Amino acid sequence: MLSAETQTPDPFAMLGLPARFDLDTQAIETRFRERSRELHPDKFAGAPAAERAQALVRARALNDAYQVVRRPQRRAEALLARAGLTIGDHEQLDPAFLMEILELREELAEARAAGKLELVNELQTAMQGRRRALEQGLGPLFAAGDAESLAAAKRDLITLRYVVRYLDECDAALDED
Amino acid sequence: MLFQIAEPGESNEKAACKKRVVGIDLGTTNSLVAHVADASPAVIAAGSASGGGDDAMVPSVVSYPPGGEPLVGREAMARGVEHPADTIASVKRLMGRALADVAAIQPLVPYQLVDDQGRMVKVRLGDGRELSPVQVSAAILTELRQRAENALGGALDGAVITVPAYFDDAQRQATRDAGRLAGLEVLRLVAEPTAAALAYGLDRGTRGTYAVYDLGGGTFDVSILTLVDGVFEVRATGGDSALGGDDIDRAIVRWALGDDASFDSASRALGLAQDERGRDVARAIAAARAAKERLTEAESAALAFELGGRRVSTTITREDLARVCAPLLERSARACRRVLKDAGYQAEDLDGVVLVGGSTRSPVVRDHVRAVFGREPMCELDPDHVVALGAAVQADVLAGGTTDVVLIDVVPLSLGLETMGGVVEKLIPRNSTIPCGATQTFTTYADNQTGFDLHVLQGERETADACRSLARFTLRGVPPMVAGAARVEISFQVDADGILHVAAHEQMSGVAATIQVKPSYGLTDEEVERMLLESFDHAEEDLAERNLRIERIEADRILAATRAAMEKDARLLDADVEAATRAAMADLERLVAGTDHVAIRHGIEALDRASKPFAERRMNLAVEAAMKGKSIDEVERDLPAHPEVR
Repeated sequence: MLSAETQTPDPFAMLGLPARFDLDTQAIETRFRERSRELHPDKFAGAPAAERAQALVRARALNDAYQVVRRPQRRAEALLARAGLTIGDHEQLDPAFLMEILELREELAEARAAGKLELVNELQTAMQGRRRALEQGLGPLFAAGDAESLAAAKRDLITLRYVVRYLDECDAALDED
Repeated sequence: MLFQIAEPGESNEKAACKKRVVGIDLGTTNSLVAHVADASPAVIAAGSASGGGDDAMVPSVVSYPPGGEPLVGREAMARGVEHPADTIASVKRLMGRALADVAAIQPLVPYQLVDDQGRMVKVRLGDGRELSPVQVSAAILTELRQRAENALGGALDGAVITVPAYFDDAQRQATRDAGRLAGLEVLRLVAEPTAAALAYGLDRGTRGTYAVYDLGGGTFDVSILTLVDGVFEVRATGGDSALGGDDIDRAIVRWALGDDASFDSASRALGLAQDERGRDVARAIAAARAAKERLTEAESAALAFELGGRRVSTTITREDLARVCAPLLERSARACRRVLKDAGYQAEDLDGVVLVGGSTRSPVVRDHVRAVFGREPMCELDPDHVVALGAAVQADVLAGGTTDVVLIDVVPLSLGLETMGGVVEKLIPRNSTIPCGATQTFTTYADNQTGFDLHVLQGERETADACRSLARFTLRGVPPMVAGAARVEISFQVDADGILHVAAHEQMSGVAATIQVKPSYGLTDEEVERMLLESFDHAEEDLAERNLRIERIEADRILAATRAAMEKDARLLDADVEAATRAAMADLERLVAGTDHVAIRHGIEALDRASKPFAERRMNLAVEAAMKGKSIDEVERDLPAHPEVR
């Protein structure tokens, strides 16, 4: 059963990194390895059961924090959450983008059904460019940090969710036999 | 040690309580056991030369004479020539699999596969006995355990067993159950390519990012790892848990027969008796394997066998073999491309590619690896031994011997739950670092609903029927509320073995809903217990004795760990906790001298409870140290003398 210990601690604090969007990937990885050296469950293998269980909780928290901080999208969502902004299940989407993504999804579904992997690849590459642009745009918004910029970051993150889901679908299509 | 963080001055104590631990490579074709002696790993060979081949390798073959003890290894192979229906090879392919998953191999194996109500497939022997693949694997592990115990001069304290990185949850659980059944304390399941990287990395003091290409008898893995200063971090892993040298052998037989269908029809439609057919199939496959192995050195090889009265005699060249393997290697290429993409690497950015597994001896496979990664692969260490060697190192790490190595592994396949419309909601994406966790909140859809059915799945596909079913859960005891008011939090936790644990909790009322687990393929705890009891009917020691031994080992370990911790961190102990801990230690010492294993277990639990506040303080210290990037000693120096003041 769950206990209070499993509540997610702040992912940035867990890795000992500043809560910023602009973090160097190399620095995140290095810090994670340093922490793992101390907190990995193997280091507690000889310990009594109670202590091993606690060690597991800490290691899990560290690994979960790593997953959040190393992925730009999740890192940004964690920063928004710190500012009291969360993304719900029924957020408003820019109507123009909604139209566009619906059309693109249709195009993908058709390409997939027809087994046109070349086309799936093209659609994926285009969407990947969009993802990069959105992620790069988040840096300045979080750096500014005012209410208006954070609201804009939230809008972009909602868009990004759709973009990522689309990319997942492309992956699924390409993985099929 | 309570904390096995490298600290000078502890080494003597460690040497004094040096544990007998081993690493086991439980392979599709061959298995072997290794251990660390004098700081370097070595495989354990058979005590007496049993003739031919590599003496450390035990063929993963078990033969069951009616009413007798199972034979394992070369003896089993020898008996298998005349009794193929009682002789199980490549059992690893059946682990955690239902009959429907493996039905395609039935015409190709001489033994009978039977359904167990859609759960893990069973093997029916000539005398009608039905065995789980877990029991067959346990027979191989028992042989390896005995071999290690003879070589090391006493009972083992634990073992690390390797599994293909791409093994899913059911396959991992089956492997762990087999270890238990073989009387082993399974310290950890480690992914085969990760173990291989460990052996390679330590041997060569390597730094950088490497691909490990592991093609064994029945499984294929490819992992991308970064090695930095003793930290082995898996970036991504991929593969195919049903692709290996076995498939190449069968493809050769099919090729020699001229078309795909004739293999099945030749072996089945002729109405041969099970035994007769089995002998033919076994011989044809053995001939194909021998020809394949000759092609490692030669440009062409003769191939002759008889199947269902049809005599085949031909010559196979390397080019033929390359053509035969092409569809199989295309599957491998796809897995390689995907793992590179998942890891965010281009092939040319890698520092090297390491070859693991007997099948990578084949020049056809090497050409393929060279083409996929655009470089000459590395194969300095024996590809058949390297996994066991790495497992031995990891066992030594867990026993507190090697201290400067950390393995960081990942979940190979995404884990999720079935939601409305048969869609899979992924809770833990593939390649998440383990141990890890995730939670998801669900609500009720009807008034006064008190239960939920949950379906746990593993895989990458979007729909539940295309993923692997791991378990079905029924949640009971949710307090009656209006629809949508209950908040049931489902938590997924993956442990360091890559095995999933699921818990549920109703947040509004704080009720911990009870979970009923029905594993889709695995064995229930009761089944493992029963098999354990059965296996000890014939074993040299009875179950009570074995339990006593296991509890005593655990008790001694905890007593030593607690004593060392109290000595080292006396200032973190307040008077109450110290008195309670010492009392519990004295009790446990008294119980260990007795023979009641249940009482010892209770004593261990009592000591755990008594020392918990102390353990927490020590743990906080370690976390603090890690946070500040300091050593534990540095943090301790900054601490006030009495914990009460904190």
